[in-house]
Amino acid sequence: MADWQIAMVLMIGYLIVALVIGVMAGKGQDKGSLNEFAVAGGKLGLIVMWFLMGGAVFSAFSFLGAPGWAYSQGAPALYILTYTAFAILPWYIIGPKIGKIGRKYNIYTVSGFLKKRFGGRLLPILIGLIALLASIQYLATQMKGMAYIFNIMTEGRIPFWLGALLSYGIVVVYVATGGLRAAAWSDVFQGLLMIIISWVVGLAIVKQLHNSVSGMFTELIESNPGFLEIGNVGSTMSPMAYTTTILVSLIGFLMWPHLFSKSYASNARTIKKTVLIYPVFALFLIPLLLVGFAAVNVVNSSELGSPDEILPYLITTALSLPGWVYGLVGAGALAAAMSTADAITHSASLEFTDGVIKNIKADISDKSTLLIMRIGVFVIGALAYFITVFGGQGLIALLLGAYGSIVQFAPGVYGALYSKRATAPAIITGLIVGTVVNYYYQLVAPVTPFDIHAGILGLICNVVIVIVVSALTQVKDVKIAAEYRNIG
Amino acid sequence: MSKKKFTTIYCLSLLIPLLLLLFPLFSLGNRATPIVIGLPFSVFWVILWIIIAFLIVLALYRIDPDKDETEGN
Repeated sequence: MADWQIAMVLMIGYLIVALVIGVMAGKGQDKGSLNEFAVAGGKLGLIVMWFLMGGAVFSAFSFLGAPGWAYSQGAPALYILTYTAFAILPWYIIGPKIGKIGRKYNIYTVSGFLKKRFGGRLLPILIGLIALLASIQYLATQMKGMAYIFNIMTEGRIPFWLGALLSYGIVVVYVATGGLRAAAWSDVFQGLLMIIISWVVGLAIVKQLHNSVSGMFTELIESNPGFLEIGNVGSTMSPMAYTTTILVSLIGFLMWPHLFSKSYASNARTIKKTVLIYPVFALFLIPLLLVGFAAVNVVNSSELGSPDEILPYLITTALSLPGWVYGLVGAGALAAAMSTADAITHSASLEFTDGVIKNIKADISDKSTLLIMRIGVFVIGALAYFITVFGGQGLIALLLGAYGSIVQFAPGVYGALYSKRATAPAIITGLIVGTVVNYYYQLVAPVTPFDIHAGILGLICNVVIVIVVSALTQVKDVKIAAEYRNIG
Repeated sequence: MSKKKFTTIYCLSLLIPLLLLLFPLFSLGNRATPIVIGLPFSVFWVILWIIIAFLIVLALYRIDPDKDETEGN
């Protein structure tokens, strides 16, 4: 068998296993229960929760983007390790609190959480819309990763549109049938697979190209001075850009609906234990960075379409690795992309239904809500698919772009949790201005002041507006505000 | 220990390793040499503080007054 045939057999085999696990996980659970579909009845165990959170972080971005950053940018790639390790830590404090509020008021989304505290319809509709757009952007990056992997590992025999359709189609099927529980159990399988593959393949590549890790870095320091530092001569990023990129990812992380709403899916103890072991996930990314560093001075960047292609390029072209390695890396990258895609598709559908549809048409029964959510999974899937197949842009720009708008939820969420004084008009104006500022600096302005990340600029305006407007307006429902603050 | 006090200790003690990984304090670790355990100093510095943060969280969990809390409401 040719290399690409072995690779294709392995990847298709992987897809079948992922489908079976996803569909099986939802078996025996109450199919008609909204609560089961949305938050798995609030009863996910520790191991499953760990992989659900970890799988969401290990995405196509980490598998293709992290080596790409290390290869093209050098030390700034360290931002990925830093934010992955630290972003979850606030969850130890806010996760159990959000969970208790959610169970008390029967909430399962970010928009529901803010609606209960601030009232009105405008805020949940805005949150639902921003979450939907950001999720579609995020999904498109995952799907691009999946399609790309299929394409390159089969040496161009599976076209882009078919690779995306196959792998993402499977995600849509198991999420629509089994809800959160299906996503969670497939993440356990996918998580284990990609961790093992990244270490084995990562270290093997370093060994083949440079003999040892320290040998590789010694050569790199000599040939590219400044490449492994930030802001010095020869570096690719300024200290301010580096710091604010970490901050925006750090603050935005838990605001993502697919992570935020996991607070409802588990008890306080499981949440705390998930946070405890979580920083280890950041360390799992190290071999992927090493792959990128190993390729510097070995691969000429003009041979690549974009830096994200470095890992698959090394395997198929630069090194003559056997076909089963193609297949393994293919399966690992698919696993990484799919375990993120399932959680995001699920939460985007929940968020849009609960935030937008339920606030436009108020009296919808739980049964119809569940049906809308299931249909939503397919609609969102289709939208993301068309954007992927017909639209362009690099993986990382897309991810950071989506992140920039999601981080604008933070003042609302933290205001709801810890402030009696934050008011609805303040949160709404802050959110709108923050999002507009972010979009302006990200898409229109060529440079940002002081090289500060666009999302952080938006956040600064957002926070200032929330404080000023809150001081000028009155809280409408003082009782709910006090309860949000005092629970937990 | 009260819950409020624990929250304060939690936030402050984890802020320290984080600040060491952001500018301006990251300047302390922001250099390529010396090579430590095979890694450039900047890479080693980031990994070191992630591991320390991990140990801090483990220690904090042990002193958490409601780590075994069973939902009260």
